[in-house]
Amino acid sequence: MSDVKKNILEIKDLVVHYDTEGGVVRAANGINIKIGQKESLGLVGETGAGKTTTALSILRIIPDPPGKIISGSIMVDGVDLMSFTEEEMEGIRGKEVSMIFQDPMTALNPVFTVGEQIAESIQIHEQVSAHEAMERAKEMLEIVGIHRERASDYPHQLSGGMKQRVVIAIALACHTKLLIADEPTTALDVTIQAQVLELIKEYRETYQTSMLMITHDLGIVAEICDCVAVMYAGNIVEYGTLDDVFNHTLHPYTEGLFSSLPNINQRTARLTPIPGAMPDPTELPEGCAFAPRCAYATEECRKLEQSDQTVSETHMVRCSRYREPEFKIKRGNMP
Amino acid sequence: MFRYVIKRCLLMIPIMIAVSFIVYFIIDLTPGDSVDAQYPELTATEKEELREELGLNDSVVVRYARYMAGVLRGDMGTSSTYNDSAFKIYMKRLPATLELAFWGIFVAMLIAIPFGILAARKQNTWIDSSSMFFGLLGLSIPNFWLGLMLIMVFSLQLGWLPSFADGTWRSIILPAITIGTGQAALLIRTTRSSMLEVIRQDYLRTARAKGVSERKVIYHHALRNALIPIITAAGSQFSVSLGGAVVTETVFAWPGVGRLIIDSINTRDEAMVVGSIILTTMLSSIVILGVDILYAFVDPRIKARYSK
Amino acid sequence: MVKKQAAQTANPKTEFQRINYLSELWRDFKKNKGAVIGLIVLCIIVFFAILSEFMFDYETQVIAINVSEMLQWPSSKHLFGTDNFGRDILIRLLYGARYSLSIGVCSVAVSLLIGSSLGVIAGYFGGLVETAIMRVMDVFSPIPSMLLAVCLTTAFGRGIVVLMVAIGVVGIPAFAQIARASVMTIRDQEYIEAARACGSREIQIILFHIIPNALAPIMVQATLRIASAIGTASALTFLGLGVPTPMPEWGGMLSDGRNFIRDYSYMTLFPGLAIMITVLSINMIGDGLRDAMDPRLKR
Repeated sequence: MSDVKKNILEIKDLVVHYDTEGGVVRAANGINIKIGQKESLGLVGETGAGKTTTALSILRIIPDPPGKIISGSIMVDGVDLMSFTEEEMEGIRGKEVSMIFQDPMTALNPVFTVGEQIAESIQIHEQVSAHEAMERAKEMLEIVGIHRERASDYPHQLSGGMKQRVVIAIALACHTKLLIADEPTTALDVTIQAQVLELIKEYRETYQTSMLMITHDLGIVAEICDCVAVMYAGNIVEYGTLDDVFNHTLHPYTEGLFSSLPNINQRTARLTPIPGAMPDPTELPEGCAFAPRCAYATEECRKLEQSDQTVSETHMVRCSRYREPEFKIKRGNMP
Repeated sequence: MFRYVIKRCLLMIPIMIAVSFIVYFIIDLTPGDSVDAQYPELTATEKEELREELGLNDSVVVRYARYMAGVLRGDMGTSSTYNDSAFKIYMKRLPATLELAFWGIFVAMLIAIPFGILAARKQNTWIDSSSMFFGLLGLSIPNFWLGLMLIMVFSLQLGWLPSFADGTWRSIILPAITIGTGQAALLIRTTRSSMLEVIRQDYLRTARAKGVSERKVIYHHALRNALIPIITAAGSQFSVSLGGAVVTETVFAWPGVGRLIIDSINTRDEAMVVGSIILTTMLSSIVILGVDILYAFVDPRIKARYSK
Repeated sequence: MVKKQAAQTANPKTEFQRINYLSELWRDFKKNKGAVIGLIVLCIIVFFAILSEFMFDYETQVIAINVSEMLQWPSSKHLFGTDNFGRDILIRLLYGARYSLSIGVCSVAVSLLIGSSLGVIAGYFGGLVETAIMRVMDVFSPIPSMLLAVCLTTAFGRGIVVLMVAIGVVGIPAFAQIARASVMTIRDQEYIEAARACGSREIQIILFHIIPNALAPIMVQATLRIASAIGTASALTFLGLGVPTPMPEWGGMLSDGRNFIRDYSYMTLFPGLAIMITVLSINMIGDGLRDAMDPRLKR
């Protein structure tokens, strides 16, 4: 998963809470992530699992109040961002690490042209003239597949797919080392989805950018990621390479995710969803958060605080049942 | 875009005609007329003869038609007080009022925008509540009283500022503060609610993720969007201040059209009163139209809609 | 409010529902401390407005000229001092409350009744009726309200009733707009269809369904307009166009005091304070009402 060279991103034991009227939302409870150079990690999970929180923490743009990073370290290219001042973080955002968001319809400022919005990113981080910044902005537009003349257009004059490509252009304008993509294709048509993913893939190949891709779609993960981290209720429950997680699935939740995918080869009358729902993040249970919905849960599971079990050099699972040497889930292990 | 402007201008014409009739009709109801005012020494019979001669005994509709015919020629009647074209005198006094209204809005924005932004950023804290309260206070203070109090303190007691238009730049300060304080109230409220809407928008998050400093996020990215309803509110406030100028100009003995109207009422100068009110109304409508057009320029989405 | 109605069948609001709504409103209103203080202050002012008729003799205390007591600074004998006619300012202020309050309330009553009726009719019947009414409103709207009031008071002379009517007329377009907008929102709601389906007559529909729901924004607007009407009335009196002397209207008292501002500043201080406190307390009540009625702020 990573060699002796510095990892582009290393998150250790990240804990993030939101202090709301309804209680303290424990959004992230000890997240560990490593992404090496040129690697991409898919962060998978349902809505509310804590994926976006993790991503926003890297850039430290969690709305505060009510959000707070309680503890943990976030290292980008060997440097711990937690010690940075706000001004220093501004230097990081858009330059070393950049982010693209889910909804392109609201992500762009309606009163500035798309060219201006891309150029702004360049002007903040690099010492260039306004003219040159705009030139480079137009180049970025071409890279993402939009005619350079459209730099003087306003967001409302572009389609949803084009808007998302502008958002990507903004994020990549300074050729960052790490791109965080928070469900970039969820709000788009399927055909546009494919185009956007293609664009990201090509860009990464050309510029060797590392990527953290947040998604709930396992198909996208399969297409574009090297490694996978599955998140549930604020914890990463399984972590490994594509092969590890897809072909040697360990965690019951991951198994549930795969089972709930419709399989074109198996025409069944009913799909198999995971029963129940994610627990209320203000009232997480003592033991395993997934236990109430888990087919393999024991009494111990419900009471014991879970810990990470390393199964191989690349593969980790957070399930106490794996302490039993003979424990296996159904997926991948049926005759 | 151009067609929209033309359409709005054309629409103004019938409205202004109706307005002018209403104003003419109402003022006409005032007891007494210009004959009484200008020639008090004549006997009743002589006055009647004069009225016949001048056509003052015709019905109000006929007289109005005559008046409008004159207006189309550029003649809004002769002021009995100044013995000169009413239109000319109004135009001479207008700049003073415009100066007052402009600086009033300026002061109002100067107060309202920073406090409105502050109240929005610290929503539901004591800063928010007190900003709103001070806004409400500014609205409740009768502005002629505020003017008098300011004169009392700054002119009479301290002697720092003049209490009337003495030709120096200092004379605009107290009147501007007087007008501005009252208008700031509505503008603080508008700024605050507009900023609250904008502050939760996603595109601000995009800006932060780009590395834009928080100050720039608020004052450049957010404010530019929040400004639109604020400008509209400021425009309508301008119209209100044209009416309120009547009072402020009286307090500060300001040589503008507001005081012109009051003086003309006292001297029973009908032509002046009617002309001034019609022209002021027209000015107010033009400003509101101007603000609407400005709105279209500031918000590219509106501009697009009207360009189709 | 609207959702509750929709859940019920097409029956006129029962007494129980009305009482429930009012007590809920009161509870939300109470949360706003400023509004409650405003209400208390207003009650005190109203108290004096009503009782001053009995507490003070108009002829001897309010308007009588008393040369020996002229222009005295505030003292234990005259708490707010005396004016240039030797009249006690505090007594005049307390008595003067009745003018401001009555003009405020009556003028808004005129605006509200006429304006809202026109607005409801316009909104409900639509078509030519609506166009005609709204065009007339459009003609009155561009005239700055102060100027229109000046116009009317000039034509009809000084006096309390003229003032009430003038300020009332100025306020008609605003209420017409609000009423019409409310009606248009409500008239297309489903429970009106249901009412018609049950055979309710048009007038019943208007009275029992449309008006109660349109009431909220109108009430807020009415309260705020009372505050501004008091301000306008005092401004007009200040200019010499409103309540004639020697009646102790606050704006008029300010106008009197203006000539003595250099040496007898108390003459301008107190009437202005009176206007400010009255207007402020009504504004705070209006603010509280607006927040209490705002559905977005509900739990």
